[in-house]
Amino acid sequence: MCEITSETGKAAMQVLLTGATGFLGRRVLRELVDEGCAVRCAVRPGSDVQSLRQFVGARRWSCTETVNVQLSNVEQCRELVRDCSVVFHAAASLSGSASNLVMNSVVPTRSLMAAAAEERVARFVLVSSLGIYGAQQLPGHATLDEQCPVDSAGHLRDPYTYSKILQEEVAWKISLERNLPLVVVRPGVIFGDERGALSHRVGLQLGGLLLRMGGRQQVPFTYVENCAEAVALAGFNSGIDGQIFNIVDDDLPTGRQVICRYRKAGRKLRVIGVPQFATNWLARFNEWYSSKTEQQVPAVLTRYRVQAMWKPLRYSNERAKQQLGWHPSITFDEAFERTIASGV
Amino acid sequence: MNEKGIKVGLVGCGQIADAHLQQIRRIPWAEPVAVCDLEPLLARQAAERFDIPGQFTSLEQMIEQSRPDVVHITTPVESHRLLAMQLLEAGVHVYVEKPFSVSVAEAQDVLDCARRNDRLVCLGHDQLFDPAWLECCKRIDAGEVGDVQHVESVLGYPLHGPFGTQVIANPNHWVRRLPGGLFQNTISHPLYRITEFLTDPEPELQASWFSRFKQIPFPTELRAHLRGEQVTGSLLFTSSTKPCHRLTRVYGTKGGLEVDLDSQLIRADKRNRYPGAFAKIEEPWRQVRESVANLSRNLCSFWKGELHYFEGMKRTFQLFYEAVRDGSEGPISYDEMIRVTQIMDRIFEECRRSDADRAGAKRLRRSSQTDELEGSKAESMAEQSIGSSSQRS
Repeated sequence: MCEITSETGKAAMQVLLTGATGFLGRRVLRELVDEGCAVRCAVRPGSDVQSLRQFVGARRWSCTETVNVQLSNVEQCRELVRDCSVVFHAAASLSGSASNLVMNSVVPTRSLMAAAAEERVARFVLVSSLGIYGAQQLPGHATLDEQCPVDSAGHLRDPYTYSKILQEEVAWKISLERNLPLVVVRPGVIFGDERGALSHRVGLQLGGLLLRMGGRQQVPFTYVENCAEAVALAGFNSGIDGQIFNIVDDDLPTGRQVICRYRKAGRKLRVIGVPQFATNWLARFNEWYSSKTEQQVPAVLTRYRVQAMWKPLRYSNERAKQQLGWHPSITFDEAFERTIASGV
Repeated sequence: MNEKGIKVGLVGCGQIADAHLQQIRRIPWAEPVAVCDLEPLLARQAAERFDIPGQFTSLEQMIEQSRPDVVHITTPVESHRLLAMQLLEAGVHVYVEKPFSVSVAEAQDVLDCARRNDRLVCLGHDQLFDPAWLECCKRIDAGEVGDVQHVESVLGYPLHGPFGTQVIANPNHWVRRLPGGLFQNTISHPLYRITEFLTDPEPELQASWFSRFKQIPFPTELRAHLRGEQVTGSLLFTSSTKPCHRLTRVYGTKGGLEVDLDSQLIRADKRNRYPGAFAKIEEPWRQVRESVANLSRNLCSFWKGELHYFEGMKRTFQLFYEAVRDGSEGPISYDEMIRVTQIMDRIFEECRRSDADRAGAKRLRRSSQTDELEGSKAESMAEQSIGSSSQRS
């Protein structure tokens, strides 16, 4: 197995990227090609490859190959990873039931990593999520960094977060058992041209209404272009195998500030603010009502989830800066302006 | 059976398993004891989320260790026959998620096995126990529509939903391997809403399927017409219209009823009592009163916490478990299971035949066009030759 060292040249390095047609993946592809890599993109049959081609442009496209593949099939995965030095695994389902997310995100990760281990890939970069931390265990206003433990009761969280927790668990197990060098990148809330900044961390969308949860807590944003740079760096920097990197931008705004910015930009938002202290009451009511009516209204909002999602915390990106040499090159102000200009 | 009631296991922890486990938990005397899936991660997520003590990747082990009274089969349909027979032979009652089987022959095997082992089988025709459907049937039984003449059943399918997307993306998806493709997995629901009234064992039928989307390589639309001695029926499966309805309209000699299972609405179609212009006032006024009645009923159900998407499923489970407990007959008769499966087989056969006919007709058209073309070429050549010979003469 070759190792990623400071001497490993990126130029003409063959790498594999999954999720290349996705919101983050297509930017990662651009970064990788700009670094001089030959990129093999694993895409699901029926994916919109034409739109990806337009996005990256003709010059970059010449360094890209696309392969239709079912990632849950180990044999197909082996073919896919053959001759690749680094695998960037950014593919993941974002919505659906827990079982669908497990089948579409966790099982494919296991197959792909097993294949990568067999083919002696030098590094596997997994794009995970900042949401998987057990933030409810931290005291209010504490700093969340890579030392914070992963949520040990993932099944109490939303299906997406649960699937990411299982995905990482599977990834670390395979990495350990099969001696596959693994680097995990845990981005915060990714926003950008196709995905606005009004995420669940700011509030819950109820029809045309935004239920702002708290509002004074920082929202762990990362602009998609910044995040893509970090993911690419995680594939090439030496001496970081086995490491985890939280990816959040500098100067994070609070939920309230995000809403103000949207309003200043001329967006009409119908917002009902739920103060921090009342978020727990609301969750308690939702739990009680859901249980009383045998889930006529599901317990989407639970005290456990409230603590994990909207607790006032600070977010550190120090490790990514020090060990990846990553610096969010686009400030939040600029990123927000670009996002607004794109119309989302 | 223990003092708590029925011990329930489940095999196949995919998307529909969530609905089953949620509804099982709503029955106080049913205890979900174990889940099983070949994929350990799927078994684990179901066990963790629904707080179920047993999780297995082997059915034998689940039966041996958890000793369930009833097992729900929520696996892909190809495996239903084998799993059901294995469970029945092990002395376990079986609830099978629709569709029952790949063919009527397989369904017959399962029911024969159930009879041999003196166990019960129930099929997931759960919409027959949906509150709105039950109310509609009650009104029909009370003679509100007179004699039923025709039933129209609609299923709008969200092809780009979480499940449909997987079927589209994966050429080896189990749904695409079924003889009836996408429809085999879904049309039993609108079909048994027709066969509830159209009781002929072998109605005449016409059916065809086709696709509305060029990029999707399998049929996504189905139309079927059934004709019995007294009642006719039409089934519309569509994945190209919005919203995705689950609607049934029953037409009778005195009037009609429409039931919308998603919104839990029942609308009556009645003959107007007043003539001419007055009828145009009477009808909207009747609709207003009907809307108020529907709203009141739904508000009342909401207040009582009874507005559940899978309410019919819960009631079917409950009736089945009661039958298991009391040793009585299950909520869905075996004859009905066989009849619906048989009609489904015939619909798919008819669709394939219709495809073949269409392909044949196309070939014929093409060859006749070629013949015509060649004929006209020959004619013009003959004319030319005649022309040239007359010039010569």
